Amino acid sequence: MKKDTSIEIRWHGRGGQGAVTSAELIALAAIHEGKFAQAFPSFGPERRGAPVLAFNRIDAENPIRIRSGVVKPDIVVVLDPGLVTLINVTDGLKPGGCLVVNSTRSVEDLQQEFSGDWKLAVVDAASIARELLGVNIVNTTMVGAMVKAAEVVKFESLKAPLNERFGARASSNFEACMRAYNSTVISQITTTGTKKSKSFPMEKIPGWRELLVGCIVTEPGNTKKFGTGDWKSQHPVWDDKKCIKCGICSLFCPEGCIQPNEEGYYRANLFYCKGCGMCAHECWTQAIKMVEGT
Amino acid sequence: METLAIYAPKLVTASDYIASGHRACSGCGEVLAVRYVCKALGRNTIISNATGCMEIVSTPLPETAWEVPWIHTLFENASAVASGIESGLKALKRKHGYTKEVKVVAMGGDGGTADIGLQSLSGALERGHDFIYVCFDNEAYMNTGIQRSSETPFGASTTTAPAGKLSMGQHTQKKNMPAIAAAHNIRYVATSCSSYPFDIMNKIEKAKQIKGPSYIHILSVCPTGWRSASNLTITMGRLAVETGIFPMYEIEDGKYTLNFDYPKLRPVEDYLKLQGRFRHLTKENTAEIQEHVLTEFNRIRMLAGKKIK
Repeated sequence: MKKDTSIEIRWHGRGGQGAVTSAELIALAAIHEGKFAQAFPSFGPERRGAPVLAFNRIDAENPIRIRSGVVKPDIVVVLDPGLVTLINVTDGLKPGGCLVVNSTRSVEDLQQEFSGDWKLAVVDAASIARELLGVNIVNTTMVGAMVKAAEVVKFESLKAPLNERFGARASSNFEACMRAYNSTVISQITTTGTKKSKSFPMEKIPGWRELLVGCIVTEPGNTKKFGTGDWKSQHPVWDDKKCIKCGICSLFCPEGCIQPNEEGYYRANLFYCKGCGMCAHECWTQAIKMVEGT
Repeated sequence: METLAIYAPKLVTASDYIASGHRACSGCGEVLAVRYVCKALGRNTIISNATGCMEIVSTPLPETAWEVPWIHTLFENASAVASGIESGLKALKRKHGYTKEVKVVAMGGDGGTADIGLQSLSGALERGHDFIYVCFDNEAYMNTGIQRSSETPFGASTTTAPAGKLSMGQHTQKKNMPAIAAAHNIRYVATSCSSYPFDIMNKIEKAKQIKGPSYIHILSVCPTGWRSASNLTITMGRLAVETGIFPMYEIEDGKYTLNFDYPKLRPVEDYLKLQGRFRHLTKENTAEIQEHVLTEFNRIRMLAGKKIK
């Protein structure tokens, strides 16, 4: 039997953040080095803002025959700080592996969230991306951090795929990648598991025996039970001093989750709010601000 | 009056017939348009919905976001199912003394309307069933991953009409669906946009009063497929109207009325530059689009009996 030389990577991000692009860049860099590599997203009902997964497999010696999703990764990369507390990102992470997180929190602080025997690497990718790219899209930044934490490909190998992928914007993306590579903080975690592990936020899908004939749903509007609130990375905050109680935010909310309170001021139900920011953009008096976090 | 108009959202009914918790993308313009349509339709409505984004996001079985009777149909037969429901209601009234006034509505995306469902829509319009057809046009098959449809505008890059060295994306013009519907000599055809809630609600109210088929075409902004920022959804719809790319008009008994006209249309760049799907366009392409937009807008102006500027 051949020696298992493959490295498996799982990317946690939100739809639209570029987790798939990150995975593709790593695979291209590995192929550039003459290795075998795969990159693919998980297919599901994920939409912009929803938690999504992307996967990598890299093998320096053997062609990769397996085509399924990665359940026991060597490396986990988390592109969105909110996902760390939301879902069990370290599910199946191999001992001796590595977790790379985009967060403004310090390594010591983040260590409290996890237990296991692996490396934890933290980088404030959002600030880097905002400063160098002008947008909060951290895919290339996190690629730099990941390569620093676990050298699956050489840093230099990233240059060609970045140029190919981003064209005119390659230099700023490369700079963001390099900044992350240099500013990633790595520490070792060796605590044993006492934390209760959370499961993936998979929707519970009933079997065919439980469904009514003809796929009838007898309870109108029962999506209300499902909170889409964990899709967001920003949430709206109202400044009641500026609010004129016109209700335009309520009218322009695609979720229909903005309602007036007893005093007539408007508030979003964060259980449903997907953080699109339309209310803040359309408010006449600019009384609404989008604030980071769910 | 100007200042009072700011408070107009207060006048809109608070009842929603599409519940929160649906799985639409953040910043979805289509689900916004559906909200307004449902507000105007009210409770006594039966909806037949073609496959597409709206079906996928609103009914992740065993859940549904709908609070009115709703049937999922295939891409090609939303209007045929609506015809059946309407005929069934007629039979109930004739044979069993059913008296409630129920409006039948068929909904579809641009694919379910202009491509795959066109034959059944044409049939239902021709047979004169008493129903409203609402097309939510987000200009491609967004739900399956942004494939081109016949409603995709000229120059847009989609996954099946990608822009590259040899192609500038979609090379055909948007199909004129309202004109096709109007050619059936139905009593009411209108176009609207997801950024104009009162316009949508007024037009649905009008269509509700009409006995016989009516067709409403709503441009629904799709930040995912158009590759635009999700907080700009409303702005994007307004720009589509203000640049003349999507003229908003009504055809009542063959008579055209242009709802939004401007002394001077904004240049199309204002709309195009905010969207990733038009990022590759050259100056010449933009000039071509600008020329086409003006020609089309002037055609509608002429039909509406206005002077061409």
